[in-house]
Amino acid sequence: MASLLQPDRVVYLVRGEKKLRASLSQLYFCRYCSELRSLECVSHEVDSHYCPSCLENMPSAEAKLKKNRCANCFDCPCCMHTLSTRATNIPAPLPDDPTKTAMKKAYYLACGFCRWTSRDVGMADKSVASGGWQEPENPHNQRINKLIEYYQQLAHREKQERDRKKLARRRQCMPLAFSEKYGLGTRLQRQRPGGPISSLAGLSLKEGEDQKEISIEPAQALDEVEPLPEDCYTRTISLPEVTTLRQRLLQPDFQPAGASQLHPRHKHLLMKRSLRCRKCEHNLSKPEFNPTSIKFKIQLVAVSYIPEVRIMSIPNLRYMKESQVLLTLTNPVESITHVTLAACEEGDPDDINGTAKVIVPTKELVLAGKDAAAEYDELAEPQDFQDDPDVVAFRKSNKIGFFIKVIPQKEEDADVVVSFKIRHDFRNLAAPIRPSEEGAETATEGVWLTHHVELRLGPLAS
Amino acid sequence: CKDKNTFKLPTVKIAAGAVVCVESEIRGDVTIGPRTVVHPKARIIAEAGPIVIGEGNLIEEQALIINGYPENITPDSEVEPKTMTIGMNNVFEVGCVSQALKIGDNNVIESKADVGRNVILTSGCIIGAFCQVNTCEVIPENTVIYGSGCMRRVQTERPQPQTLQLDFLMKILPNYHHLKKTVKAGHHAS
Repeated sequence: MASLLQPDRVVYLVRGEKKLRASLSQLYFCRYCSELRSLECVSHEVDSHYCPSCLENMPSAEAKLKKNRCANCFDCPCCMHTLSTRATNIPAPLPDDPTKTAMKKAYYLACGFCRWTSRDVGMADKSVASGGWQEPENPHNQRINKLIEYYQQLAHREKQERDRKKLARRRQCMPLAFSEKYGLGTRLQRQRPGGPISSLAGLSLKEGEDQKEISIEPAQALDEVEPLPEDCYTRTISLPEVTTLRQRLLQPDFQPAGASQLHPRHKHLLMKRSLRCRKCEHNLSKPEFNPTSIKFKIQLVAVSYIPEVRIMSIPNLRYMKESQVLLTLTNPVESITHVTLAACEEGDPDDINGTAKVIVPTKELVLAGKDAAAEYDELAEPQDFQDDPDVVAFRKSNKIGFFIKVIPQKEEDADVVVSFKIRHDFRNLAAPIRPSEEGAETATEGVWLTHHVELRLGPLAS
Repeated sequence: CKDKNTFKLPTVKIAAGAVVCVESEIRGDVTIGPRTVVHPKARIIAEAGPIVIGEGNLIEEQALIINGYPENITPDSEVEPKTMTIGMNNVFEVGCVSQALKIGDNNVIESKADVGRNVILTSGCIIGAFCQVNTCEVIPENTVIYGSGCMRRVQTERPQPQTLQLDFLMKILPNYHHLKKTVKAGHHAS
């Protein structure tokens, strides 16, 4: 049954800043802290920007300049799909001989999804395939730029004063650019809520330059407002002409009310992000720079370090009756792993969702290592683990199936939830090999890790 | 004997310039105009009345054009047969289902779209892929229905007739498929 393999059936508890329960496929494992991490307890950093349709990479500085938009690709203002350039042949007079007409190629933008074309808003066909399309300019651009400059200067001044105060406290001679050297990547510079916004300060003038005093005129409040047109109430509304809220808000500069003023905008860039553990500052996930590559330079996902529990089959569960559930345990590493299961004790603070009592096998389960070449190796002898047939149902390379006994304790309609602790040994191959004094110590020591696992077994059989 | 001769079996009349592949399923009283291309595995079924298809239409694979009985009427009761008319230069893309009784010219019904019986398509309408239109209305000219919520908008120009595609298909299809020819009237197997 494929529904038993759904990711939310088996969740692992993450003990981070807040306790989260997520399936193992969505978790990361910091092998320096030896702990599970979820997306909420890691810091996300922008790695690179790229356009989703032309897959062009863009350095972050250039992206900021272009307001995070691609230079070549456009979005349909009607349905937000990517616009494609189409060509038609139009008769145009030759430049040498005005009486003769020759076929020239004219290009226009068209959307394949909603059939919007650039001719709908009155944009003339261009004679070049790319680069001829311009976005309409915002009428308030100048005022906004002036305001941004003024506030940048203000932020810079504030930052200098803060640096001066910090220098006055420490009597060492630290370089003036102390707070500028560290960008927003380190924890020191991360924005604290309520503090001064330092992002603008980074963009301002270099140190030591004379700063021009920029002054702005305050905004003027107008007394008279443009009156509504007289036929505002009597004019019939033509619905195809009115833009939807979504179409309007995607162009906050103009927010056109009529569909004939919807101009296409450049496509938004997407970004690749890297994840970093907040405690030890090591990278948990770092993608490759090339937008066409889906691989990772560093990929510390939980499924490649922690044994995974999956539900294989559930019998009919009845209230207060013991039933056997078949689970599988998969070993992701290449070395032999020993796993011990333990039921949650009474009053366990982690066990809030459990609705059934569970009896887990007490003996230690041994999982063989993952051997990719095992199926091709004919001479290998099958490893002999003495398996108790009451506990272990089957064994297949690095996976075993085992039984647990479940006694549902609540008679409600909700799903039966079972939780237990799983304890396995983890060899940290990343830790540096310290030269030992005795000389005979093993380089990698096993650490015993314990995880809290919850399984959702489904409703009681009626 | 005489009774048998007066009862005419519904025939399929295929005009001279049309290309109808033999793997298509055409049942009932169907008239197909010239320059129309019917791909293999297309189905044109005239159950509750005749179907008249104009010229220059393109009916792709697994398209279903059906003049069927309305759902709440059993086939036994007496219903007046209504003719389904389809105009010129329409495109029925792969897998669409059309039950509309009146279709004008230059319409495009995209893949897996479903057009109900009470819809009347005028000209230049585009029913987007997987859109199900089963309202009881006349779709105005040059309307585009698209998206999962069947959003609508009006486009300024009608879709171009697929003359290039039709010419290409009329040349290539006979190389790979046998074609259906119309059965001449009076040629009943006696």
